[in-house]
Amino acid sequence: MMPNPLHYYRPDTITEARDLFEQLQRANQRPTYYGGGTEILTRSRLNDGDFDAVIDLKGIPELHVHEQDGSRLRFGSVLRLTELADRDLWPFLTATVDRIADHTTRGQITLGGNLFSTLPYKEALLPFLVSDSADLTVATPDGVKQRRLADVFDEELRLDPGDFLISVTVDGQEAKALAFKSFKMTRQDWIDYPLVTIGTARREDGSIRAAFSGWSSFPFTSSRVNKILSNTQKPPEERAREAVAAMPFHAVDDIHGSSEYRQFVTQYTLARMLKELEAQS
Amino acid sequence: MKSLTRPEQISFNVNGEPRDVVIYPGETLLYTLRGDALGLTGAKPGCENGDCGACTVLVNEIPVKSCMVLTPEVEDQAITTVEGLQNAPIQQAFLDHNAFQCGYCTSGFLMVGHALSQDVDNGSPERTVEWLRSNICRCTGYQEIYDAVSSVAHPNG
Amino acid sequence: MTIIGTSVPRKEAPNKVTGRARYTDDINVPGTLNAVIVPANKAHAKIVSMETEAAKNVPGVKAVITGQDVSVLCGDVTEDRPPLARDKVRYSGEPVALVVARDEMAAHRAASLVKVHWQDLPVVNTIRDALRDNAPLVHEKNGEYAVATPPVYPKKRSNIADEANVTKGDADQGMKNSDVKVHVRVSLPQIDHAAMEPRIAKAEILADGRVLLHASTQAPFEVQKLIAKYFKLNPGQVIVTAPLVGGAFGGKAAVQLEILAYLASKAVGGQMVRIVNAREGDMSTSPLGMGLEAEVTLGATRDGHLQAAQMRFYMDIGAYTDSAPRIARAIAAQCTGPYRIANVHTDVFCVYTNHTYTTAFRGFGHMPMTFAIERAMDELAHTLHMDPLDLREMNAIRPNDVTPTKARLTRSNLGDLPQCIEKMRPLIDWNGGKVQSVGAHRVRVQGVAAFWKTSSSPPNAVSGALVTMNSDGSVNLSTGAVEFGPGTKTTAAQILAEKLRIPLDRVYVHEDVNTQVDPEHWKTVASLSTYMVGRAVVDAANDLIGQLKSLAAAVLRCSPDDLDYGEEKIFVRDDPSISIKFSDLALGYKYKEGDSIGGQLMGRGRFIIRHLNLLDEETGHGRPGPAWTVGIQAVEVEYDEETHQYRILKAATVLDAGRVINPAVAAGQVMGGMNMGLGVASREGVHYDAQGQFLNQQFRSYKVMRMGEQPQQYLVEFVENPQLDSPFGARPIGEHAVLAIGAALANALSRAADVSLNTLPITPEQIWRERGARL
Repeated sequence: MMPNPLHYYRPDTITEARDLFEQLQRANQRPTYYGGGTEILTRSRLNDGDFDAVIDLKGIPELHVHEQDGSRLRFGSVLRLTELADRDLWPFLTATVDRIADHTTRGQITLGGNLFSTLPYKEALLPFLVSDSADLTVATPDGVKQRRLADVFDEELRLDPGDFLISVTVDGQEAKALAFKSFKMTRQDWIDYPLVTIGTARREDGSIRAAFSGWSSFPFTSSRVNKILSNTQKPPEERAREAVAAMPFHAVDDIHGSSEYRQFVTQYTLARMLKELEAQS
Repeated sequence: MKSLTRPEQISFNVNGEPRDVVIYPGETLLYTLRGDALGLTGAKPGCENGDCGACTVLVNEIPVKSCMVLTPEVEDQAITTVEGLQNAPIQQAFLDHNAFQCGYCTSGFLMVGHALSQDVDNGSPERTVEWLRSNICRCTGYQEIYDAVSSVAHPNG
Repeated sequence: MTIIGTSVPRKEAPNKVTGRARYTDDINVPGTLNAVIVPANKAHAKIVSMETEAAKNVPGVKAVITGQDVSVLCGDVTEDRPPLARDKVRYSGEPVALVVARDEMAAHRAASLVKVHWQDLPVVNTIRDALRDNAPLVHEKNGEYAVATPPVYPKKRSNIADEANVTKGDADQGMKNSDVKVHVRVSLPQIDHAAMEPRIAKAEILADGRVLLHASTQAPFEVQKLIAKYFKLNPGQVIVTAPLVGGAFGGKAAVQLEILAYLASKAVGGQMVRIVNAREGDMSTSPLGMGLEAEVTLGATRDGHLQAAQMRFYMDIGAYTDSAPRIARAIAAQCTGPYRIANVHTDVFCVYTNHTYTTAFRGFGHMPMTFAIERAMDELAHTLHMDPLDLREMNAIRPNDVTPTKARLTRSNLGDLPQCIEKMRPLIDWNGGKVQSVGAHRVRVQGVAAFWKTSSSPPNAVSGALVTMNSDGSVNLSTGAVEFGPGTKTTAAQILAEKLRIPLDRVYVHEDVNTQVDPEHWKTVASLSTYMVGRAVVDAANDLIGQLKSLAAAVLRCSPDDLDYGEEKIFVRDDPSISIKFSDLALGYKYKEGDSIGGQLMGRGRFIIRHLNLLDEETGHGRPGPAWTVGIQAVEVEYDEETHQYRILKAATVLDAGRVINPAVAAGQVMGGMNMGLGVASREGVHYDAQGQFLNQQFRSYKVMRMGEQPQQYLVEFVENPQLDSPFGARPIGEHAVLAIGAALANALSRAADVSLNTLPITPEQIWRERGARL
């Protein structure tokens, strides 16, 4: 029950925050951006953090945006997971984030915090990973920039040091057109890290995409797996089996479950998701 | 911009009263509440890791694990702790349903239950379970707690 | 009177729903220093050297203590545990140093700067590792340590810390006479008590030499004795206070942080020092519940009568013995479960490993033991094509039978298992354990298991009660039992109110325990408080009634024999109109003229367990406890044959409570016990990696039951056959609902999945593995 030796800053504007980061670095401090705090505080109390100053982004209005902005759905990076679920602007995102942690904690975790988590899961990424239109609005030294999610995602969202996420957007038409399923599978408990969380979407053309969290040490989607899943000539069980065999990474082996068991769970879960998705249309 | 780099005074509202407290910039709300200045020891440290919910309080009516909040984050906001419940129906419900044994997790469960009881229109058994999954009790069978909270969160079934 | 058998709220209930109930860390003295443990990050390694300079130089640090500063060895039975590791560490998480500082932040920072140079030793990571020929030794000095409370039989140059055996009849011959035999091996991991309040202790050494300790403990009087013994103090010098305790489950009967708090205070000139476990340390540094590997062979006739049992139990006690030898004897003494078996041979081994050390866990070894025997019983039922409940009823132990240690059973000291079983049938709507299909890939199955348990307490365990009167005739009740949830103080108050024929709200209980002012109570363990404290309270009530009558006799000018009492009055039996109020006697009687007699009335009560003895070294025979509580438990599960996931639909317990004193509280104890037992069986267990590192020391990785995972329906019934020497006939019931419910779950799921599920926890992955791990 001790105070952590942290400095605390709460800037009011994007520029203030971006400048502060560099200023602190120049002063040999190790700043980190701070959203809901659940991950930073758990790491800090175990001396497992490479930071000594937190920049709380919740004072910046642009990061709270939560709206249909023209044709796009825009989600501010400090929105709490419960806010996303309560507003339910994109049901696919709701279904996915609603299975992260527990309800009280979801009232504290922010979207940006989950997307930039140091844990392997980052489940909130899954709906964006299976969309074509996902964009990030990023604070950079040269001002606010748009980045295609696909361009900055390489096992994780890679922003330049000191840059931070303002909001994520996705095309409203695309989001609306996706039939989706999101399943989180755990070892035994409802509240637990996932063995695997799978977000699957069926596009208007009937093709299927899936993104996975928990299978490996980062979330991913695979064009090869998507191709297999989209082959409706074959029954769901067979596609699921082939998909698991075609995964681009080895399944993780940890205290939640063995590698083989993850494969087993992923396989039956995928089969069930395909059946439900295709029954919808 | 707000900045805290050394112990400093901040203000917030606790259980309906404006309070000014000197805090370290890196201290958690749980620490501040339980400290000598406020002495509100109803919120309990059970894991200090956001896992058990024994330290749950309300910030602007929303349940929050106070071990996972930095006190400067809640500057100028309204905090309700178990000590701030004044004959709330949830308290009587816990008594009526024997919804505790050792009592250590009770404050946290009460605060979640109280928040649910403030929004009966959206109440349902599923919602009650989902909110209460945030807390751990090691003594009871959970049924007692569920029954107590249900009686105020969705009293009509 | 109607106080006994009535659901009354706990005395402290209003405080618990208002945040006003105070636990150890809620009461702090300004200026208290903070001590932080430096835990070992190796499971087995020599301490080559330690660097503490950097830690000492942190501003605010008052002292850094290492094993070199402390020569005492601690232990409940075998004194094998240094409070701070010396020379080597034996588990990851073991305290190697203690930092005392002005504030916690400085203490933590300093603790992170203590540097240890290690020389790795081979890790004893499983029972199999430990028992191998030429296994690395966890304790080179095994067999040479001082023994605080015999018996214990360590085997030198081995990892066997103790062995307990029981022989009754001729097990080999019994097996030969059996038509069928079943053999079961079970494996259970270590588990954590996971009390919601982490362990904490505070110590202060006053200038007059008194030591004040405040701790979250089940055993304040044990803390007092041990601190006095280890540090050569007079017991009266050591004053231990135990406020409300936030859950215990056996884990707070061990004495650990109290010793460290004392050492810390001593190092800083006696100032008050607080030491509190973070959750991680509460799991990995403080003691756990034991792991177990066991083999059980049962022999029976073709019609199901048990003939013989042969068993071997290997307890993973971790790095130090603590109470393991007592638990081993408890397992040996009750090894058959509640069944009549004429020929028994059982060996129980306490095995040292490089795991976190262990102590009592709710049920004192009977939960893992029961799992082993009850899995074997179900295998036997399966082999014989018998109804598992019928098999248990047929073999249920009865009055005039003897236990494995040849203790004689009577109608009083043994509950009625057949009666419990008869009540269970309609309660769970017993269908014989048939697998019922309820849709695609889904089946529903019931499983049962029975339990028994006695206290396995020392033969000289004592308890006391002190009742003082207030001026209005109400009473204060002081006992030495700690309140950690089961309503111990309230039960004692009910007994007192009933005896004095006064309303419950006229009894004020002393909530905290203070060893200086409260009468001694052995330990608040073994579900014995109602029996032991209750007997002392009855004694105190009788003493007080005697005093009231004697004083009233003088005032009313009659013999005390003429007097009776009720409605807070003493009255003449044959003419109740001649009476005097308790309030006029409480602080002495004042005559009209003003002169007075009597003084404050106070009842003293005491109790000591009788007729128990230590088990005989050769035969293992003896009487381990005053009485055996019995019961039957059942679950109904729905199991998915494709995913191997399951839901617990019903969990049921029928136990012989002797007499239920507080029905709502008793039912709560039983439901909570079932929930814990089902959690242990379905998800709990410590994970160690190949280096013996404790991997899941947080609630996000050590999973316990949460809301929504409990059984959809709890069914609780009691039968009441009185234990004649217990207040109102009440039998111990506090621990018992954890004992067999996990076995019942395993029995149901084994039938549902058509495999033997003998390894805990039973996760869907575990079932999938047992079924062949096919994709």
